[in-house]
Amino acid sequence: MTDLNSYIAKLDKAIEKYIPSKNTPLYESLYKPKDLFRIPLDDAKKMQLKTIKHSFIHHYNNNQFYHNFCKEHSFSPEDIKTNEDLDKIPLIPDKFFKDYPNGKEFATWLANIYTGDLPKIVIKQKKPTYDDVIDAFNRAGIIVTYSSGTGGRHTFVPRDQRTFLNSEYILAKSFVTMVYPFWEYDSYGYLLMPNPRKNFIYAGKAVEVYFDAVKDVDVAIDRRVTTELISMTMGGAGGIKSKFVRYFAYKKSKKMIDDIIAWLEKHENTDHKITFVGAPYILYAVMEKLKKQGRTFNFGERGGVGTGGGWKIHENKRIPVSDFRKEVQNVLGFKDKYILDIYGMVEGNGWMVHCPEGHYLHVPYSFYKPLVLDDEFKPADYGEWGRFAFLDGAAQSYPGFIVTGDRVRLLKRCPVCDRPGPVLEPEVKRAKGEDVRGCAEEVRKMLSSDLGS
Amino acid sequence: MYSLHEIKTRGYLPPKRLRRLLFYGFLALGKVFITNMKDIKKLSSLSNTKRRYHRPPRRFEIPQYNKNMKYCTKDERYLRPTMYCNSHAPEIVALAHQLGAYQKSDQEFAEAAFEFAKRKLILEMLPLDGVENTLRRGTGTCLHELSVFVALCRAAGIKARYKLYSMNMIEAWSDTLADDPMVKKWSDAMGYFMIHGEAEAYVDGKWMVCDVGPTPERQAGSNIPITRFGEDSIGIWFSVIPGTIMEVESISFGLNAMMKLVFKVAPATVDNVNANILDQIKLGRKILAEKGEKEYDAEIRKNFKPKFPEPVLKKRHEIIFEK
Repeated sequence: MTDLNSYIAKLDKAIEKYIPSKNTPLYESLYKPKDLFRIPLDDAKKMQLKTIKHSFIHHYNNNQFYHNFCKEHSFSPEDIKTNEDLDKIPLIPDKFFKDYPNGKEFATWLANIYTGDLPKIVIKQKKPTYDDVIDAFNRAGIIVTYSSGTGGRHTFVPRDQRTFLNSEYILAKSFVTMVYPFWEYDSYGYLLMPNPRKNFIYAGKAVEVYFDAVKDVDVAIDRRVTTELISMTMGGAGGIKSKFVRYFAYKKSKKMIDDIIAWLEKHENTDHKITFVGAPYILYAVMEKLKKQGRTFNFGERGGVGTGGGWKIHENKRIPVSDFRKEVQNVLGFKDKYILDIYGMVEGNGWMVHCPEGHYLHVPYSFYKPLVLDDEFKPADYGEWGRFAFLDGAAQSYPGFIVTGDRVRLLKRCPVCDRPGPVLEPEVKRAKGEDVRGCAEEVRKMLSSDLGS
Repeated sequence: MYSLHEIKTRGYLPPKRLRRLLFYGFLALGKVFITNMKDIKKLSSLSNTKRRYHRPPRRFEIPQYNKNMKYCTKDERYLRPTMYCNSHAPEIVALAHQLGAYQKSDQEFAEAAFEFAKRKLILEMLPLDGVENTLRRGTGTCLHELSVFVALCRAAGIKARYKLYSMNMIEAWSDTLADDPMVKKWSDAMGYFMIHGEAEAYVDGKWMVCDVGPTPERQAGSNIPITRFGEDSIGIWFSVIPGTIMEVESISFGLNAMMKLVFKVAPATVDNVNANILDQIKLGRKILAEKGEKEYDAEIRKNFKPKFPEPVLKKRHEIIFEK
């Protein structure tokens, strides 16, 4: 068996372009450690302080709105001396990224929440739509990712290339480390999300690295999913056009399930390793169809799954993650240790990944600090349930110090495995009164016609 | 009828931002109507409401007016009567006097007027009309309520204006207002709550913001802090869509047309929303009776969400608009 150092070195070679810039704290805290989840706590603490402080200073000095926000909170870089001081960094509610105007002012809003120097961005339209503005930013090298159109409002986050590559590198390294020694480049993947090369919806876009980490990747949704399309398929808009769009989405979804089954058949009697990455809803629909047909596969150690949130299977039915794993084992024959869930969000670049032993969500703690806030929005102790917040040292183009609407329980260490860092309880829920959201939930709603049931 | 001079000088023509909001609002509403004809047919009859709305009794008596009562007659911006806001109306003048006009300091009077408008007027969705009618009914939309506060201040010689904007549909409101499927579709189609507002009174050289719209019961029923005189609700319990804030002397043409249209086409929707508002008030009253207003407010402020940062929409030379 390949040792971990060689294993990660192979991954780094495959995804070289994503590696953080040298001579930065992030390079030390993200790239240098071979296993992000086994860094000794004392070392990780130093890295965490250095990386997050460096990021805070960058945003404090180069982002006017965040600078003003910190001044309102009477907080400045001099106030950060220890890891505990990091908890006092002013946090931005995730809903902030839903508060934007439309038309030309949307572009101005994006420019004003962006940290640092902007490239030249040309907007050609007289009355630009959100998609027009996103395209213009993208042409200038800024990737505006979006998510969750619940309630008619998307979350928009502007990422420069560096931030985007950081996010992708973290995702690949976190997942590949956790499934050690399963990953190999010469394998086959199926992305259960919209094609990242055609899209800016965070569902999918964040896993563009999949195409570099795995030799051959198929995509479930190979079309552009615009904000307008999401609005129509998610039921936010009525009208004949929307009905057509929903009908075609339904038809395409049926074909998508058949394509995935055909792909499984193709690899069944080979020695290929296969992986699925993306929305659990789609894989669930595949398994439902296979069960109806009375069919199973037995990929054993050759199969792996990385799911990303969205555990609602139908409108009012949520499947427990553990039940989903059982289904994958029973229907596809994959091993439990290679069926892992990944928790992340459009506002952040850190990804928390299930450990194979206990399926707790491990936090990459050397550059990212997880916090749980109590009802008064103050950091709660380990073991308490509360609102998830984080300090993200990998966000360069916007301040990644965010309070989310997710309800979690943070533990000091995993009760099952021997990795030393903090973990979240396996299932993340939405805090009371918050919208249901998440990339996979969007995909599920887009393909809303109850596939396979 | 208004004279051309009045229309021009008092701001009856909607400013550019409002014109844009109205345009998108009508467009979204039209789309909802056209694509939901079946539902609209149902909602056009009050017999199809889930529950009928019955207007609650007025919470106050209108004091007697007498001709000797002093009121501000200056034809100055923010002091003169404007559309739906006749600060010379006998009902307004009499009430202003009852609240201490020309007896109390500006600060004390403005606070008294704020307390009156906030606590005595009940939210009811209906087309816009004059402040006299709002006082007679004791109910109105947030714009009716703002107008009463503004008119009381102007009658007492205190400058007052409207602060209007689009806001995000907060969870607390979506339960009440967007509980109706038609309102929800409209709100979803727009992505935000089209128009809401606060009033501002000019006291001791400073514009004091006054969130008179929601009564303490409604705020308690929505689990939000009870906003006080001088306290901006923006950032406390909701956020605005950047670039939509308008500080204006008057309500302008166009706003009422939208309300009238909804009222005419889907009265059942309006009835349903109004019934929901009464439920919210009932719930809030219970909460306040159990906890006490001060205690409730102190508790909810501790627990309420953190403040939002406010990005300033500063033009950036790096962004080039070709057209």
